Amino acid sequence: MRALVGVLGLLLGLLVGASTVLLNPLAWMRGLPPLSSEIGPFKTYRGEAYRGIDLGAGSLLRAGRQDPEAALNDPALRHVRIAIIVLPAGAGAPAALAVKVSAAAESNSLWRAQLGTNDYWNIYWPGEGSIFATGYSNYWAVTRDGFFAVLGGDFDGARAAGYPVSAPPPPGSAAGVTGAAGRYAGFTGEIRELWYPRAGNPRGTDPDWAVAIKANPPPVTAR
Amino acid sequence: MKRLFAISFLAGLLVVVLATTFWPLPTHLRYRSLITVPTDGGRQEEFVIRWPEDRIRLPGEDRSDLPATAAVGAAVLEDSAGQRASAELFRLRDADDNVIGVATRLAGTGGAIADPGRSASNWLLVIPSRGALFLAQTDVQDTTVTEVPTADGPVVFAQAQTAAFWAERQRLLVTANAPATTGSVTTGRVVRGTSEFEGLRGSFTETWALDEVSADGSTQGRILLATFTAAGT
Repeated sequence: MRALVGVLGLLLGLLVGASTVLLNPLAWMRGLPPLSSEIGPFKTYRGEAYRGIDLGAGSLLRAGRQDPEAALNDPALRHVRIAIIVLPAGAGAPAALAVKVSAAAESNSLWRAQLGTNDYWNIYWPGEGSIFATGYSNYWAVTRDGFFAVLGGDFDGARAAGYPVSAPPPPGSAAGVTGAAGRYAGFTGEIRELWYPRAGNPRGTDPDWAVAIKANPPPVTAR
Repeated sequence: MKRLFAISFLAGLLVVVLATTFWPLPTHLRYRSLITVPTDGGRQEEFVIRWPEDRIRLPGEDRSDLPATAAVGAAVLEDSAGQRASAELFRLRDADDNVIGVATRLAGTGGAIADPGRSASNWLLVIPSRGALFLAQTDVQDTTVTEVPTADGPVVFAQAQTAAFWAERQRLLVTANAPATTGSVTTGRVVRGTSEFEGLRGSFTETWALDEVSADGSTQGRILLATFTAAGT
């Protein structure tokens, strides 16, 4: 009986403690405002062609087992993800070919509700031009909702339809869009990303990511 | 019993506090940076990519029937006007041959990007422990990879991986010496950096060097990216 009471107390303490850490209000306060849908509409895509980590809590906490077929085994690349993406045409823009590299952020902190990746994009529109973009994605809210969904018996995972994972970068990191080539050379702007974790079912066909980019031409200077 | 429950409850809270504080979150392995500082200032650093072994194979590319000259970890997007963009994924090595990060090469042709017969390319170099470098250049020729439809699905070919490309040379400086007449892309430019590379600007050159031609018509070689950067230039 004493042992049972001890175990129950310990489990309750773990549960209350973990819930308190996950409900850190900083996670709600640190989001980035969405871009205007007219200026930077979201383009959805299915991010299947990747190697490296899967961006789940297990990977970001270094607690899960990586898919051996997808893992990058070089010691310097253990916490990196690299992908080729085709962004569909629409909203007046042609289709684009893109690469995205995500690396677990070394500035992550469980006390500061930061569990994310530094993301790097290069996007190329055939015949038009290209941009680089960088940002920080925080998966804390996805992890939190997944934890409470499991507690509630919903083992399908997180509930939200789409998570705005883009967050202000931690000190030492950067965010923003930089034009590289063609008619976008010199442009600057912002990037936002959405993640749909429930659509990530390997057998599914729904888009599981969306990205919105706003870029402005360089200011005109008088001679 | 109540006291035991309270103590074990507090013990559970303490475990969470300790785990939250000391949990070993991911860190990236860092190799010593191999940087040379020229007499006049700035910093030079050379990166190496070996083909074909440094190409990062994507899921579904484990087909054994791929031609020896096929390139894995690559994709092509072409519009109805024949304007093309291609993407390639690589491991990135330092001058000591350590894999220190990943590199992606996107190249495009047509329209506002480059003169006919040429391409403009972007390199994204990500060294997880140090940050990223964004590079852009005009190429001396069209360096996009091409996609050929086959019965088993599309196959991507890179020029440098075929013996015919090297018939009259052993090295090729891919970076154009002068900007294309379109003028929208400069040659060999370090556009931006992040983290440790934040605030650095400069130039770079891309060189392809052939090491070996195999009997099956495929090749082995190196892509050399030589960067010169300085703060705020």
